[in-house]
Amino acid sequence: MKKKGQSNQGAPAGGSGNTATRAENQAVLNISNNLEQTLGNIKRELGSSPDLKIRKFQIGSAEPVWVAAVFMDGLINAVAVDEFVMGALFDNSADAAEEMPREPQERLQLILDRALELGEIAVKDDWNDMMLSLLSGNTIILLDGCSKAIEGGTKGGEWRTVAEPSSQIVIRGPKDSFVESIITNIALIRRRIKSPTLWTEFMKIGTVTNTDVALLYMKGRAEDKVVDLVRMRLKKINIEAVLESSYIEQLIQDKLFTPFPTVYNTERPDVAAANLLEGRVVLIVDGTPFVLVVPTVLAQFLQSTDDYTQRFDSATLMRLVRYMSLIILLLGPSVYIALTTFHYEMVPTPMLISLLAQRENVPFPAAIEAMIMEAAFEILREAGTRMPRAVGQTVSIVGALILGTAVVEAGIITPVMVIVVALTGIASFAIPSYNLAVAGRIIRFGFLVAASMFGFYGITLGLIVLIAHINSLESFGTPYLAPLSPFSIRGQKDTLARLPMFTIDLSPEKLGNMNNDNKSGNDQGTSDSGKDGRTGA
Amino acid sequence: MDGQVLKLWKLLAISGLLLLQTGCWDSVELNRRAIVSGVSIDKGLTEDKRYSVSFQVIVADEITGKNSRGNAPVALYKGSGRSIYEAFGNASRQSARILSLGHSKVIIISEDLAREGIRDLMDIFERESDMRLSTLVFVSRGQRAEDILSVMTIFGKIPANDLVQKLETGNRSFGYNFRIEVDDVIRGILAKEGGAIINGVIVKGDLEAGGTKSNLEGIKPKAILKNAGLAVFKQDKLMAFQDGTEGMGLSLIHNKQKEYPLLLELGKNESATFSMFKVHTSVTANAKDPEHPVIYISTQQQAALKEYNGSLDISKSSVLRNWEKLLSEETKKEIDAAVKAAMRLNSDYIRFNETVNRVNPKGWKRVKGRWDTIFTQCEVHIKVNTLIRHTEMRTRSLKSSGEGVE
Repeated sequence: MKKKGQSNQGAPAGGSGNTATRAENQAVLNISNNLEQTLGNIKRELGSSPDLKIRKFQIGSAEPVWVAAVFMDGLINAVAVDEFVMGALFDNSADAAEEMPREPQERLQLILDRALELGEIAVKDDWNDMMLSLLSGNTIILLDGCSKAIEGGTKGGEWRTVAEPSSQIVIRGPKDSFVESIITNIALIRRRIKSPTLWTEFMKIGTVTNTDVALLYMKGRAEDKVVDLVRMRLKKINIEAVLESSYIEQLIQDKLFTPFPTVYNTERPDVAAANLLEGRVVLIVDGTPFVLVVPTVLAQFLQSTDDYTQRFDSATLMRLVRYMSLIILLLGPSVYIALTTFHYEMVPTPMLISLLAQRENVPFPAAIEAMIMEAAFEILREAGTRMPRAVGQTVSIVGALILGTAVVEAGIITPVMVIVVALTGIASFAIPSYNLAVAGRIIRFGFLVAASMFGFYGITLGLIVLIAHINSLESFGTPYLAPLSPFSIRGQKDTLARLPMFTIDLSPEKLGNMNNDNKSGNDQGTSDSGKDGRTGA
Repeated sequence: MDGQVLKLWKLLAISGLLLLQTGCWDSVELNRRAIVSGVSIDKGLTEDKRYSVSFQVIVADEITGKNSRGNAPVALYKGSGRSIYEAFGNASRQSARILSLGHSKVIIISEDLAREGIRDLMDIFERESDMRLSTLVFVSRGQRAEDILSVMTIFGKIPANDLVQKLETGNRSFGYNFRIEVDDVIRGILAKEGGAIINGVIVKGDLEAGGTKSNLEGIKPKAILKNAGLAVFKQDKLMAFQDGTEGMGLSLIHNKQKEYPLLLELGKNESATFSMFKVHTSVTANAKDPEHPVIYISTQQQAALKEYNGSLDISKSSVLRNWEKLLSEETKKEIDAAVKAAMRLNSDYIRFNETVNRVNPKGWKRVKGRWDTIFTQCEVHIKVNTLIRHTEMRTRSLKSSGEGVE
């Protein structure tokens, strides 16, 4: 950890860091006047990879000039390369052949001006820039005798098409989800918000992977302060590889030692768009369909698109059900333990008699019993997640048999415990956000221990600690429990209940208010805790 | 920094171990408990065994479990001692599990103990944190209290629950017994001028057979638990049991009777029986002169005709209006009987003291010490207002002419 910290300080942050490290390894490479030499250098640097394609040809009839088009197979749009680069070069340069100038610079200009039929074109004179462009799927056009390269935007290749979301499913609402391509993802959002105030910034993160990260926000809605903070934290990231947005999430989150997620993620473009409209910042990472949303609050993890596509009354009911599920998930087994081992007088007598009869020949104390069952359930769930789809059925059958019937028949576990554990398990699935459900699953075990030691007293103490902890959390300057704490009447319209549409406006005040409430203290607080979080990692 | 992390882990590990050191406070697994459903207190046989206390313990396996052996659903553990807790200790020693009082439904006190005074034995029921103040209290009328707890019952298997349900069902419609909890009894005892009221209970039938399964084998149970009258106390000493009209009147004065049946004699072999409902009684006083307070008891009630064998045309409202007057008279008689009985026993368990105290607190302080003499000379005005709501599904009776003859 120490080493990493030191190198952090040594290397300049962000994009310039890439070039610096690259330059160390490949000290003296640059685009040479000699075409053969340049091509040789490219091949050497890429280790003569077979997917590197070089097409050499001549243009101009009077005084033919050697030209090379270099591209990576599979990363390019083959049609674009064939028609608009090669085809255009042949046709148009033939037309222009009579006036082909002798000066290499002018030839380059001529090709740029007259020959290439591409929308995206640039001139590169830096070797590393050129290589990065090549590896991003662009076509590089090199001219013999010229020390500059033309970059033609021919990015393409195979991507998964836009499909239905797999992790955030709704009854009614848009059925598209983000894909792995950052450009497609931005387009999916832009299609929903056709406003010039939707601003996008690009940066590359990852010294090796050079992953594109897009920062989206709505100018005027998002607070500049928050945007600056996000930008600053992104710039500070020094990591070799970014393969998923969670890499970024873990590096920009406010606090490390908390089970609660302080960065929201979604694979739904409509959710991302709604958050942009509410003044939040969206981060899209190339190569993953999950985009990040900051700042976030706890309530957001219990919301779903369905809350807005259904009528307000049913939406409110469903939302309350989710809050209840969270409470059941956290406290279900522990309340059962507390009731049966400490506070038996609180159970209604007929129920107590039935519990007594069930417990009669069970070998383990209730707390151990709960631990066993919860652990078994977690194993089953983990197995179910990783299991190849073909055997998935087997797991559920075996699991249902083992947990549901056999364990009870064998007299190891009481039937009530099965009910309690099953209820907790189902409650964890009712929470729309997977990472909040995971947090609940972890904390549940803490409560289990507290309840088996001290009964309801322990649960109460645990709750105090838990709420104090949640209350101490912040996400990019926004208190995590907002709008419950600090309390805001305006925010209540869409927190526990969802009031009718006409009362809810998406204007960013909802978020802005909370930040303004304690503007002075927050800036310092967040940046500090942000630092702590990262050095801890 | 690594050092810090190590320190943190050490701290966590140590505090985790400390947690284990405490043991599990007062955690008791359910299968270490014996749930007591009822407690009975009898007079002990000798002086050093003042109380003989029985605990009715639920055998859960016999009630719901698949492992039922077909035995009695409850068991009685009995212990005696100089105090109730000592007796409890003695009884506990016979049980393999911890006797847990948290679910006790009833406390039964034997009549002879109640006549001697119950002040001493009520202390534990309020002091012991496991017991509930809402536990019902009964007096076993002329029988040993433990006999009440050893009757097999038809519904619900647990005799204590059966008793509670009988009381509640009875109070809803016909009986005059009402819920009297530990809390009520203690408050009754503490009023110097008054006294407690406690429900009476008896076992009707064969006591011996009642405790075995043979009680349930026939269609006619051999022994049956039954509420029997209200035991009225002067302070903590039982004075008398009040049944019939007096009992009903007592229940009415306390505003505990929501529904009850009333029969009107209408000449030879003719009667009309009503179900009284929405009964509400309030007691107020005029105590400007606390030496001679005037008590007003006012009852509002509605009635429905349930049974009629006379020949009057009850579609006429004049008939009904007349009956209303008669009904009011009947109710008034019941209340009057209860008041007279209380005055005769010279115990203000009908709580006139509270009423006077409420309307004239200063005056009450003056007469407080002499209330037992004033109480017996109180002027009592009883006003009953009855309204016959309906005559149910028929108008004229089968006897009256013109209908049901052909």
